[in-house]
Amino acid sequence: MRSRTVPGACRRALPAVLSVGVLALAACGSPAAGGGGGAGAAGTPRSGGTLTYAVGTDVLCADPQQAGNGDELAAARGLVDSLTAHDPDSGKQVPWLASSWEVGEGARSFTFHLRTGVTFSDGTPLDAQVVKGNFDNVAKLGAHAVQATSYLAGYRGTTVVDPQTVRIDFDQPNAKFLEGTSSPSLGLVATATLAKPAADRCSEGVIGSGPFTLERFTRNQQVVEVPRKDYAWAAANAAHQGPAYLSSLVFKVVPQDGVRSGGLRSGQFDAIGAVGPQDRQPLRAAGYQLLTRAVPGLVYSLNVNVSRPATADPAVRTALRLALDRQQIVDTVLGDGSKAATSVLASTTPGYTDLGPKLAADPAGAARLLDGAGWTKGPDGVRTKDGTRLSLVAVWFGGAGPVQTSLELAQQQLKSVGVELTLRPIAIAQAIATFKAGDYDLIDGQGSNADPDILRTYYNPQGLNVVRLPAGPLQDLLNSQATEADPAARAQQVGKAQQQLVDDGYAIPLYEATGVIGLAPRVHGVSFDAASRPQFHDAWLS
Amino acid sequence: MSLLTATSVRVRSAGAGALTAAGYLLLVLVAAVAPGLFTDRDPLAARPADRLLPPGSGHPFGTDELGRDLFARVVHGTALSLEAAAIACAIALVLGTALGLLSGALGGRVDELLMRATDVLLAIPSLLLSLALVTALGFGTVKAAVAVGVTSVAGFARIMRAQVLRVRAAPYVEAARAAGARWPAVLLGHVLPNAWGPVRGFAALQFATSLLSVSSLGFLGYGAAPPAPEWGSLVAAGQNWFASAWWLSTLPGLTVAATVLAVNRLAAALPDAERP
Repeated sequence: MRSRTVPGACRRALPAVLSVGVLALAACGSPAAGGGGGAGAAGTPRSGGTLTYAVGTDVLCADPQQAGNGDELAAARGLVDSLTAHDPDSGKQVPWLASSWEVGEGARSFTFHLRTGVTFSDGTPLDAQVVKGNFDNVAKLGAHAVQATSYLAGYRGTTVVDPQTVRIDFDQPNAKFLEGTSSPSLGLVATATLAKPAADRCSEGVIGSGPFTLERFTRNQQVVEVPRKDYAWAAANAAHQGPAYLSSLVFKVVPQDGVRSGGLRSGQFDAIGAVGPQDRQPLRAAGYQLLTRAVPGLVYSLNVNVSRPATADPAVRTALRLALDRQQIVDTVLGDGSKAATSVLASTTPGYTDLGPKLAADPAGAARLLDGAGWTKGPDGVRTKDGTRLSLVAVWFGGAGPVQTSLELAQQQLKSVGVELTLRPIAIAQAIATFKAGDYDLIDGQGSNADPDILRTYYNPQGLNVVRLPAGPLQDLLNSQATEADPAARAQQVGKAQQQLVDDGYAIPLYEATGVIGLAPRVHGVSFDAASRPQFHDAWLS
Repeated sequence: MSLLTATSVRVRSAGAGALTAAGYLLLVLVAAVAPGLFTDRDPLAARPADRLLPPGSGHPFGTDELGRDLFARVVHGTALSLEAAAIACAIALVLGTALGLLSGALGGRVDELLMRATDVLLAIPSLLLSLALVTALGFGTVKAAVAVGVTSVAGFARIMRAQVLRVRAAPYVEAARAAGARWPAVLLGHVLPNAWGPVRGFAALQFATSLLSVSSLGFLGYGAAPPAPEWGSLVAAGQNWFASAWWLSTLPGLTVAATVLAVNRLAAALPDAERP
C-alpha cells in the first residue's frame, strides 16, 4: 500500500473509482491514526517554528471539498472549518462554526445556528448565504467532489432562514449528513472560491476560515501553510481557541517508508505519516513518539464473491473465517499498534459491534467443517468436492506492501486446512474492470470513512457489491440504516448488518487499518480527528 | 622478458576470471534446473517464529519477515529470473536479426522505413518503454520478459544490418549470385552465417542486460505473481527493511549483480576463444 497510488484526477472522475481508490490506498498506508489524544501535551505551548510532516500518498489537490485520499484531506483540513466537529473521544458531534443545530423529524432537515464573528481569510464574514452557496456548489461539483457529494444524497436545497441560521433539506432521510458536516470534505469556503472552476481550486487552493492559509502548493511535492493571526473559532473539542502556534506547517510527499523514517531520524522531518511496520519499534526505541489509532470504516477483509462455485458453499466461507489466524498476521506482518479485526467495521467507527469471539482462529474446526461438508483432501493436499477444487483466487490493488505480505501468510494458513489460495495483484487502473468481471473469489481491501454507511457503499447490490450478493435481507438492513434518524435504532441495524456479514461469511475480517504517525520528541499537541487523520491547530514545538 | 611475464600474467588471470565466471554460472544453471540440490527448504513455507533471522548456520541468507528461508527463495527464484531473461533475449535476437537481415539485404525504401522505426525505438529510454508495455500487458514473468525483449530489438537490428551491408559486397556473395543462386538462398546460406559473429557476441551481453531489466521490472512489482520468489521482487521486498534487516535486499541483489558480471565476463572471453 505503500507507494503506489491512484492518479487523483482519475479517482475524481467516477464515484465508484473513488471507493476503489480508498480500497487500494488502504494498502498505501494512507493517513494517520493515533490514540485520539494529543501527543506530548505536557508543558506550556509556545509559539513559533516550522513543523514539517512527511506523508506517503500523492497530494494532488489543495481543495478539501475535492480531496480524495487521507493525506490530501489532512493537508486541506487546516485551511477550512466545518459546521460541526466529531469528537474522537466521546464519539459525539460538537459545535464548531455552528454553535447549535436541530435535526428535523426523520433526518430530512437540518437547521444550523452559525457562530458569530467568524471571517474567511479574505475578510468576508461567515453567514447563512455563504453556507448555502457551499452546499449548492458541492452538489454541482458532482464527480469532482465524490466524498463530499456522498454526504449530500437526496439534497433538495438550502434555505437562508436569517443571516445566522441556515436549513438544509433532503428528499429522503440522510442519517450520515450530520457526520458529514464535520468532515473536511464539507468544510466551508468563501464566496470568492465558489466562483472558481474546480481545477483552479485544486491548484491554487481555497479561501477558508481555518487556522491556516495556503502559502504555496506544489502538486505532489509539498504544501506550505501559515497560520492566521486573527483566528479565534476552533471547534469545541480543540485544546485552544486562538491562532495556531506554529509559524508554518509544511506537508511533504515522500512515498518511500524508509525515506520518511530516515528523514524523521535525521531531523529533516518533525512528523511522518504511515510509519511502516518495520520502522515502528526502532523509532520508539530511539525515543520518537508513535501515535496510533484504528482508521474508522471497513477493516481489511477478504470479501467473498458468493457467485463463484466453491465460495457459494456457506461451509467454505465459515471454514475460511475459522482457518485464518488474525493474531499471527498482526504479530508477523503489521506489528506495533495494529490490531486484529473484531468486526467488519473498525473499533473506531460509530455503530461498531464487537464480534471478536467469532473471529478466533480454529483451524481444526475449519477442517472438521470442510470434512463434514464433503470437501475431501486430494493427493496434493487440496480439498475437492464433486470435481471442484477448493482453489481460490484472491485479488488486491496496489501491489507490494503489508496487504500482499499478509495474504502470503494467509495463503500458508489456509494451505494447512487444504484450501489453495492463488494471489493475483491487480493494477489500480483495472479495478473497475475487475469489479465488473467478477473473476475473483476473494478481494482484499479496506475503506476509510467515519460513518458506518460505508457498509452500504461496498456490500449493497446497488453499490460496489464486492461480494456479488443478490438482493436480500442484508440489503434491506443496509438501506434502512441509511435512512434511520434515531441513532440508537440505527446502531442496532448497523450491528445486525455486521453480524450478518460475518456470520454468513460474506466478509472475512482480517485486521484493522491503522494510522501511525511518528513524531520527533520536540513535537507536542498533534492529535487525531475522528477519521484518524492528524490535526495541527493545537500543535507546537519545544 | 618483463613484457613477456606481464602478458602471461594477464592471460592467466583473465583465464582464471573467466573460469570463475563459468563455474558460478554453472551453479546458477544447476539451481535453475534442480533447486533441490542446493536446499531442501520450501521457499514458500512461512515460520513466523523464525522471522528476520540474520544470515547464519541453518539460514545462509537469513529469513524474511514471514520467517521464510531467503536462500531457498533465491535458489528457487533462479529459474524464473533466468527464464525471463532468456525469453527477453530470444525475442530481441530473433526479431532484431530478422529485421536487420531484411533491412540490409533489401535496402531502399524498406531499409529506410525499418531503420527509422529502430531510431524511434532507440530514442525512447528502454525501461520507460518496458514499463509502458508491461502496464498494457499486465503482471507476470513472461509478460515482463516480452516487454523487455521488444525494447531490445533495435540494437540487434542495427548490428545485423551493418554486418549484412559489409558481407553482401563480399566477392563470395557476388560469386554465388553470379552462379545463379537465388537471393533468399544466398541470404540464408552465405550472408547470415558470415554476419552472425558480432550478433552472437551482442546476444551474450544482451542476456546480462535483460536479466537486469527483468529484475528491474520485478523490483517495480511487474514480475512473477506473489509469493513466487523472483530476484527482482526479492530485492524490492527487502527495501523497507534495509535499516533493520540488511540481508533481505543485499543478498538477492548481490546474486543478480554476480550473475550479470559473470555473463559479461564470459561474453567478453568467448569471441577471443573462438577467434581463428
